Formats: sequence, C-alpha cells, structure tokens
Amino acid sequence: MAKKKLRVVIFALIPVLVLVLLAFRAFEHSAAYYYTISEAKELQAEAQKLRIKGQVVKDSVHYDPSIPLLEFALADQAAQIDVIYGGVLPDNFHHAQEVIVEGKFTSGGEFMVSKLMLQCPSKYEGEE
Amino acid sequence: MRDLGLISLYLSCAAALWAVYAGARGEAKARRVNLVSILTAGLSTLTLVFCFLTDDFRLAYVARNSARSLPVLYKISALWAGQSGSLLLWLLILSFYSFAVQRSRPLREGGLDLRVNAILGAVRAVFALLLLFVSSPFELLADPPYSGAGLNPMLQSLGMVVHPPLLFAGFSGFAVPFALAAAQLWPGDSSGRWLELARPWALTAWLFLTAGIVTGGQWAYSELGWGGYWAWDPVENASLLPWFTGTALVHTLLLGRGQPGGQWWGYLLSALTFVLTIFGTFLTRSGVLDSVHAFSGGVLGSIFLGVLGALAAFAAWLAWVRRTSLQGAGPGEERPAALASGIKLGNFLLLLLAGAVFAGTMFPVLSRVLVGREIVLDEGFFNQVTVPLFLPLLLLMGSAPLLTPHTAGFLGILRRAWFPALCGALTGLAVHFTLGGGSAPALALAVAAFGLVTHLGTLLRRKGPLKPGSILVHVGVLLMLIGIAGSSSYTDSLYVSVEPGDEVAFAGYILTYPGLRARYGADRYTVGTTLSISKNGREVGQLTAEKTLWENRSQPSTEVGIFSRLKEDLYLNLAGWQGQTVQLHLQRFALVSWIWFGSFVVYLGALGALLDKQVKVWQRRTF
Repeated sequence: MAKKKLRVVIFALIPVLVLVLLAFRAFEHSAAYYYTISEAKELQAEAQKLRIKGQVVKDSVHYDPSIPLLEFALADQAAQIDVIYGGVLPDNFHHAQEVIVEGKFTSGGEFMVSKLMLQCPSKYEGEE
Repeated sequence: MRDLGLISLYLSCAAALWAVYAGARGEAKARRVNLVSILTAGLSTLTLVFCFLTDDFRLAYVARNSARSLPVLYKISALWAGQSGSLLLWLLILSFYSFAVQRSRPLREGGLDLRVNAILGAVRAVFALLLLFVSSPFELLADPPYSGAGLNPMLQSLGMVVHPPLLFAGFSGFAVPFALAAAQLWPGDSSGRWLELARPWALTAWLFLTAGIVTGGQWAYSELGWGGYWAWDPVENASLLPWFTGTALVHTLLLGRGQPGGQWWGYLLSALTFVLTIFGTFLTRSGVLDSVHAFSGGVLGSIFLGVLGALAAFAAWLAWVRRTSLQGAGPGEERPAALASGIKLGNFLLLLLAGAVFAGTMFPVLSRVLVGREIVLDEGFFNQVTVPLFLPLLLLMGSAPLLTPHTAGFLGILRRAWFPALCGALTGLAVHFTLGGGSAPALALAVAAFGLVTHLGTLLRRKGPLKPGSILVHVGVLLMLIGIAGSSSYTDSLYVSVEPGDEVAFAGYILTYPGLRARYGADRYTVGTTLSISKNGREVGQLTAEKTLWENRSQPSTEVGIFSRLKEDLYLNLAGWQGQTVQLHLQRFALVSWIWFGSFVVYLGALGALLDKQVKVWQRRTF
C-alpha cells in the first residue's frame, strides 16, 4: 500500500514539475514591474518592458483617428512623461482618472504603449 | 419607503442571527425564524427596486446609478450597478437558496436543513451587517437632485442585466454543498450521505457560475469594442478559480460514496470552492490588486479577508475534529473503476489549473512581500501555463465515454480509442497544413475532434458510462474549445480611413461605406454607419457601428457592428470621423459563435442532468 502511494505521489509530481518549468519560462516574457514615473525615467536607456500607473494630464490628450494615434502626458506626484499609443481611443478614456500603461521608451524619449488599461465601467465606488 | 427597506434589513439580520442560534441547537422553530429573515431580505430588495422605479433620488445609491430618462429594465438592473446593491442582491440570492434548502424534503429528514441553514444564515448575517453598517444602499442625500447621474452607458446592455445575477447565483450557490457537508459532519455522521444530497445543489451552482462567466465574456465581446472576451484580468480569474474547483466537486460528487477517499475529496473541494467564492469577492472589493475592473480599497476588503480567514479556519477545524468521520466511505454504488480513476486524474488537473491561475493572479501581492516590488504577469503567462493543462484535461474529458468496465486496463481503452484518435489526428494535421497558426490550434482542434467522435459514438450506441446530460455538457465544452481555439488563433485586423462610396476588401469580403448619418436624441447625439457586406459579388449582410455622445457625460459609448457566421465574425468599430471621412477598425475572428452556441449546449446538458432523477439519487446502472 505504501509502495503504491509512493508511486502515485511520484506520478503526480511529474506534471507539477513540468508546470513549474512552464511557469518559469512564461514568466520571463510576461513579467512586468510596476514603476513610478521617476523610476521609469531612470530606466529609460534600457529598453525594457515597463508598467506605469499614473494620471492623465488634463488638456494634454491629442487623438488623431486617421492613423490612429493617441498622445497624452502621464503624471504622478513627482514626474511626468509623454506617452504615445497607436490604437483606437477607448470610450472611457476621458472618464478615467488613473490609467495603467505598459510598454517601452522609444529612442526619442517618449513612452510607447503596447497595452493601455483603464478602469472598468462597472467600477465600484470607493469607500470613504 | 426607504425606512421600510432599512427596517426590513435590520429585521432580516436579527432573524438570520436568531435562526443560526436556533438552527444549530436543532430547534424546529428555526425554520419559521429563517423564513422571516428570507422574507424581510426580499422586502428590503423590493423596496430598493421600488425606489429605483419611482426615481427616488433622495437615496444616494439611486441618484448615483439611475436617472429619470433611464428605460425601466435598466432602472431595475441599476440595482446591481454599484457596490451596496450588489451586496443586497447577493443577500437575496443566498436567501433564495436558504428557502430552497428549507423546502427540500430529503434535507428535512433528520433536521439536516436546520444545520445547513444555520451556516447559510451566518453568511447572510455577515452580508446584512455589511449592508447596514459599512455600505448601505439606503443612505440619504442631504440635497437630492432632480435626476440622478444615470447608469453608465456601457452597463446599459442585456449582458449586464443578466451577468451579475448569474455570477452571484453561482458564487452563493456553492455555499450549499459545503454547508451540507459541515451540517452532516458536525454531529459526527460518517455515512457520507451528503455526497448524494449535495449533487443537485453543486450542479445548480455550477450551471449558474458557468453562465455567469460566459455572459460576462459575451458582454465584453459585444460591448467593449476590443473584440476579446477574456483577458486574464484578476477579477475574471477570481470567477474562474471556484469554477475549476467547482467542476472538480461536481465530478467528485458523481463518483459515489463507494469510492475510498471520496468523502474526503468531496469535503476538501466543497470547502475550497466556497472559500474561493468569498476570495473572489474579497479580490474585487479589497484594492489589493490593480485591475481594469478597478477595485475600491477600504474597509470592506479587510472585512472580507476576515470572513475568508474565519471560514477557512472553520473548515480546517471541522475536518480535523471529524477526521475519522471523513474517512468513512460508507456503502455506495459501484462505478466503473476506469471512470473513477479518470475523474480523479481530472480533479488533479483542475486543481493544478486553479493553483497556476491563483499563483499568477496573486503574484503582484507575493512579489510585493518578497522583493518589495509589484510584478504583474500578463495574458501571455496565463496562456502559456494553462493551455498545456487545458489540453490534457479536455483530452481526458473526451475519453470519458471510453471508460467503461469492459475497457479495464490501459490497452482496453487504447483499443477502443483508435478510431476517435485517428479522427483527431487527421483533424489536427489538416488544420496544421491548411490553416497553420502554430501547434496550439491544431492540437486544440484535434482534441475537440477526438472528444466529439467518442461522445457521438456513445450517443449512437446508446450505452456507456455517461448520462445524456453529461454527454451534452461535454459536447458543449468541446464546441466552446473549437470557438476559443479558432478565435484566438485565426484573426485579421485592418484600420482604414474611407470616403463615402469607397469599397474595402477584407478577409474575402467587400465592404461598402455609404456615408455617415447622425441622430439626435433627448440627451444624446449618435453618429453611425451601415456597411454593406458582399462576397463573390453577392450581398450577404450588413454591419452597423455607432458612437453616441452624451450630453451629461464626457465618455462616449460605442455600439460595435458584428456580422456573425458559423465560420467567422466580422467585427466593426467606428474609430473616428472628420466630416464624411471615417476611420474603421475592422477585425475578423474565426469561429467565435461556436463559443456562444457551445455554452448553450452546456446549459442544456446541465439542465438535463438536473432534471434527471438519478442526479438526486444515483442508481446502479448496467452497461
């Protein structure tokens, strides 16, 4: 009985190990760190994938639907960067105060967004 | 009116607490007290609905989520557009379950329903207390406006009318199997009869949860305009975790009492699923993770964390003090050994999936603790980790009809599997060489073909280890697999700027843009266009996309155009315009409609299984 149990455990461990290996491999491509804008600016030179949370600066938003290209400035308490996004302007963009952007800095120093995340419309009101 | 709602909520809370006390002591009067708690919860909800319907903007919650001009249907669904209304809906649904438990004849035998409802009552009391003291929908405004802020246009869709109640019905439904297990183990009963009694409850909850998840995806697909239905967002994952364990639970309950370790597995899975539903609520309310669903931080999150801890501790404690009762397998029906092994292997894979998704979802929190930095994993991580688990799991599911007593042994199964396997392999090769797209879609479609052939075979031969309901559910899942594989692998996208009269060639179709039209409403301005679609010189359909600008909202709303065929969907988003020149974002997703069609087959199968008397009391079946 004990021998049988051991065999089951060993057989169960194989897929778990495979899974852990898979997870590690996937991790290398998919992990994104959250940075503050000032931290991100310091890392500007090393073209790595960054994820930044910030506020859209009012009146900085410019959208050209013919390309499409969305440009805006992203700021937190300490710093500000220019952001460009080559996608369709999401409906709730003007509504969102806080956005999360994922992407890389271009050689020109602008932050090129590959993924733009906004608050969901079903956003639940915060507690006081 | 508002006072009536508040008073009934107080009453409901007090009665729920009383019912917990009386029920735990096994007093029959607990049923009457419980009924009072249920009715007052219903009355409280009705009051709030009434306030929405009569535009009572003295209530802050109504003023925030409704407006005079809102259609009646959305005035009702605005009830669950915010936090406190969602909690109230949850309380109401849990009350329905509690009522059903009380009315169930098999559960009334020996007063089991009293103890079950004592546990459900405790959960309801927590919700009622939250509604009374933390997040009240009956809060008054000092200065009520003439009309409310209105419901977010994105939530004004049929999807958002049905999605939250279905999801909540799934979440709260999984409280019942655990409550049943605990109610029977409490007095040290080791018969394991709860495994049979819990079947219809677990299956009902599973059906609702599945429908809740699918309708959420359907809403995202038709409303959000990016063309996807699943993004591995933390909140989506939160609904998927109990689905994994709940699926394992439903299968374990079907395993029957005779299985060694069956009761232990059943208890573990029911407790885990219940805890995960609370965890899901915690995740959406705590602000612990960032999500596009934007959580609110605050006290509610910590309360849910407390409830979560208390619940997990209770489940673990009960399992420890009743560990000998849990070992009792009891006399039970025989099930084919191969089928039992298949279910156990499937449970193992489902738990691995749940573990992987859980780890990935919580990784930002984990990394914050470990390295002091939030690390977020994107969709790529989840796809790469879950697909290699999903495919073997679905292959296993596909081979379920082969697991009869006659096919004992691995070789026996192989002998019966050769024809379906051949069909699967040919499908996979055909997909790989004609459509390409890498190994994932070819493998997925091969798995789907294999499973469809085995299930078709068992239907035609009218024998096998599976019931018609189970067969239908499996077939539905495989159809969904086809849709998911197709729509994530075979896509096209085109962004163009066109003038009136221009023709656009896209994915084998010719689309003609006739010009833009505008429409004024009371509080809105809608711009839209209707493209005509033709294929091989023949008109086959139309695509209408609109954008609406609202007078009192900065946020426009988009109606995407979807031209749905069995083979593919054309998806049109009106991205912008200057004069009559418009920018169109055209996308093509292969086989999307198979997902929605497959989901209906799943619902049908689960309903069929629920109507099957043998779900309630499984009888021995000859093969």
